[in-house]
This record gives sequence, C-alpha cells and structure tokens, in this order.
Amino acid sequence: MRNERVVAYLFVLPALGLFLVFRFFPLVAGSVYAFTDWNGIADARWIGLANFRELIFDPVFRDTMRNTAWVILSLPIWVGLPLLLAVFIHLGVPGAPFFRAAYFFPIVLSSIIIGTMFSIIMRFDGSLNQLFILLGLEPVDWLGDQRFALISVVSVAIWAHFGMNVLIFLSGLSAVPPEIIDAARVDGANLWQVIFRIIIPMLRPIVEFVAVITMITVVTSMFGLIYIMTGGGPGTATYMPEFLIWLMQGESNRLGYAAAMSIVLFAFVGCIGVVQIRMMRREWE
Amino acid sequence: MRLAQKRSERIGLWLVSAFMLILAASTIYPIFFTISTALKSTREFIRHGFSIPTAPTFEKFVTAWTTIKLDAYFMNSAIVTVIGVTLVLLVSSLAGYALAQMRFRFRKAIYFFLLSGLMIPVQVVMVPLFRIIVELGMLNSRVGLGILYGAFFSPFGIYLTSSYFASIPRELSEAAKVDGASYWQIYRLIMLPLARPVLITLGILTTLSCWNDVLLSLLVLQDDRTLMVGIASLRGEYGADIPLVAACVVIGAAPVIAIFLIFQKKILGGIMVGSVKG
Repeated sequence: MRNERVVAYLFVLPALGLFLVFRFFPLVAGSVYAFTDWNGIADARWIGLANFRELIFDPVFRDTMRNTAWVILSLPIWVGLPLLLAVFIHLGVPGAPFFRAAYFFPIVLSSIIIGTMFSIIMRFDGSLNQLFILLGLEPVDWLGDQRFALISVVSVAIWAHFGMNVLIFLSGLSAVPPEIIDAARVDGANLWQVIFRIIIPMLRPIVEFVAVITMITVVTSMFGLIYIMTGGGPGTATYMPEFLIWLMQGESNRLGYAAAMSIVLFAFVGCIGVVQIRMMRREWE
Repeated sequence: MRLAQKRSERIGLWLVSAFMLILAASTIYPIFFTISTALKSTREFIRHGFSIPTAPTFEKFVTAWTTIKLDAYFMNSAIVTVIGVTLVLLVSSLAGYALAQMRFRFRKAIYFFLLSGLMIPVQVVMVPLFRIIVELGMLNSRVGLGILYGAFFSPFGIYLTSSYFASIPRELSEAAKVDGASYWQIYRLIMLPLARPVLITLGILTTLSCWNDVLLSLLVLQDDRTLMVGIASLRGEYGADIPLVAACVVIGAAPVIAIFLIFQKKILGGIMVGSVKG
C-alpha cells in the first residue's frame, strides 16, 4: 500500500501548504517579531522583552484591557438571553416559528452592514433619539459620548450574535428527551419549574460551551463594528485588542509592538481554548 | 404535551411571547428602516425620516452604483469570493477524503494540526502575514486575496468534509480499487458526488465568510476595494447623505439576504454541525 500513502500525502498537500504559509508560519514569525522593534522598513532589532514591558505601562493598552473586561462582564446577557429564547421557542410559545426565522436573520449580515445600519439609527439625530424625544426623554449621543459608546457597540454586537447562540441552544435542546418534561408535568411541576429546574440544568454543558465560544467571539470579532461605528473613540472608549493591533501595525508602523500584543491576545484565546477542550473531553467521558 | 395547563401559565406565556415579539421586531426593524430610507430622496429623508417613502425613487441606487463605483467593488467582491470558495471546496474535499478514508503515517497529527487553524484568529497573525503578502507579490491582487480566503476558511471545511467522509464505508473505495479505479477517479467519480450535500453547505457558508470579510481585504487590497470595505469608507466622503449610505448597505446586503432566504435550512444546519466543534 505504498501507493496509497503517496497519494494521501498529495491530497493533503494543498491544505497543508496553505496552512503552513499563511497561518502557521506567520504565527511562528509573529512570536519572533514580538521581541524586536521592527517597523516594516528598517531591519528588525532584537530588543528582548522591551515590548512586553512597554505593554504593561501603556495607558492605551490598559484602556483596551479595561474595555475588554467590561465587555466580558456582559457575558451573562450574551448567554442568558439566547438560552431563555431558545427554551421558549423549543417549548412552542405562540409565534415560535416566526421568532426563529427573525432571530437567525442577522447571522448572515456582515459587521460592516450591521455597523452602518446602526450608525444611521444611533446618530445624534437618528431614529433612536427621535424615539427618546417622543417618549419625553433626553436624547443621548450614543456613539460620541464616553459613557455610552462602549455600551452602544456591545449592544449592537449582541444584536448581531444572539441568533447564533439561540441556534446552538436549540440544537442542544433537541437532545432533551420530551418524556422527562412530560413526567415532570404529570408529577405536578409547573411550567416555570420545568424550565428552571429541569431543562436549563440539563443544558449545562452547552451553556458552558456557548460561554466559551462567545468569549472568543467577544475578543476577536468586534473589529468591523468598532471600525465602522466609533473608530475606537471617543478617545479610547471603544478600543478592543484586535482594533489596537490593527492600529499599531497599520497607522503607527509599530509592527514589533503589534506582534507582542498579538502574542498576548493569542495566549488569552489559547487559555480559553484549553478550557473548551477540557469541557469537550469531559463530555465525551 | 400541552404547554400551559393553568391559567396563570397561559398568561405568562403570552407575556413571554409579547416580549419575544418586541425582540423580533428589533431584529427586523433596522433592515426595514434601511430599505425604506434607501428609497427616499435626501429631501424627503430630512423632512419625513421615519415614514414609509411616499414617492419611492431608485435615484440613490443609481448614484451608488455609478458615482461611488459600487459596481467595480461589487465585481471585486464577486471575484475574490468565487476564487476563495473554489479553493476551499477543492482543498478541503481532497484533504477531507484523504484524512477520513486513507491510512498513512501522521494522519492524526496532520488532522489536528490543520484543525488548530480554527483556533488562530486572523488578528494574531496579521503582522507577519502582511509581510508574506508583500513578499509573495500578493499586495493589491484579487487572486492573492482569494488565496488567503482559501487558507483561512479551509480548516473549517476540512473539519466538515472529513467528518462527512468518515461516515462513508471504506469498502466502497476498496471495491472501486479492485475494479481498477485510480485514487483520483475514486475521488472524482465516487466521493465528490456523494459529498454533494456537505459541499453545498460548505460553499454557502464560505461564500458568506468571503463576502462579509473586512480585515483580510483591508490588508491585501490597499489601492482597490471590496464591496464591504467600499461601504465602510463611505463614512468620510458621503457620510452626510444618509439615503445614499442606506442604498449602499442594501446593495451590500442583498446577495447575502437572498442566500439566507433560499438556503436557510442549509446555513443553519451547517452552523449547527460546525458549532459542535467550535
């Protein structure tokens, strides 16, 4: 079967080649650049841990981390709301098929499309503020006010992603045996007990799974929204890690420094990934 | 099972349903609002920002298509998407078949190595990647951007195809081999037709990823633009003309909305399979 081996390698080769050149090699090279002062033009000079030392004292990086922490604190909304929605859709609340379609819809839209739509709506003279005025409330500068910009961007991010989590919960719910619910009803449990004491505890592994992948989403896929809605501003109010990396390498030409940030981000995502793999393994056992 | 047995439960469920209706309205309203804005003239938008357009006009769509060169951007996006999707389908069906059906050394190691790509975010490799793009002469090249999409979206494709090929009994290709078929013939004439459903799903999901991408596109095409980057850059020059911006958004979203409406089941099914692994 020597022939089979050669053919197998040939079949895997294109995938392996693309992966090595565009993903693996950059990852390795990046971890080397992180220890240099490379600016993209002059030769890179080895500067040891200086980039990482600078990171610790960089106020912009600290602001970015603070923002990230705030966003991670909103995780219960990212997970809890879709969980409840999925449970009610699964139980067949009136209008369930319609809700299903409506919630999934934003999944296919790009962050640029979503960001532009909401920029129009959340402008100072946009429809959200018109509604506020109609209700007799003070209009708010949603994207331009230090206090509200991050909340606004995160709300839009939740809007963009919650359908995805509803979908994952629904696929988990389809594995909950209906007999258990029926049995509980026969034993006199009311609807709310069924939901909170039986269904949600059974979904625990999926809740953990969603929490982990949502956390990765939060730190790695808000670039488009920030780019289009606030450009990181006002000040550093809506800086997130990937946005800062992009800024450092694109506008400031500080490629070595940007690489150091990438390493920190990758380490963070890597840690979450390890937790995820642990959870998946536990599920198998 | 009757969902609500007691009166209080029934009322509760209707309240939940009402809340869910508000939420559903909030997912649909922005799109509805954008379409209705795109059909207005600037003057009508300023006067009646929220009403349904009284005199719908396609004037803004024409401006978007011609003056802002959205036609060229649209074409760019179509080209890079076609290249990216073709590459992903080809590369992942070949690798998926080999990894699932053939026996060779380092099979498991290669499989996990390739899947680790799912864990490396674009942002993390952005800096060195840019240098590779420059060195390989891929800067400002649409083909280059398509190849990058192939590299970045094929790990998911390999996961999807290999788990599908693993469910096909090996006896099938063994029998074909006894009959004198080459590995290429088995791939081309047996495996590809069998994998059609999963390849369609993969194709649709990859189309969405390529069409919606911003980061790689910003990195590679510095003189030219894809549609999404073109729409993103409206902010500065045309940002004040809201109906025009809305028309551009509608043009950018129309293809994916059409895909969603036609292939809803395939997309949702594919995401469910993918989400199991993350």
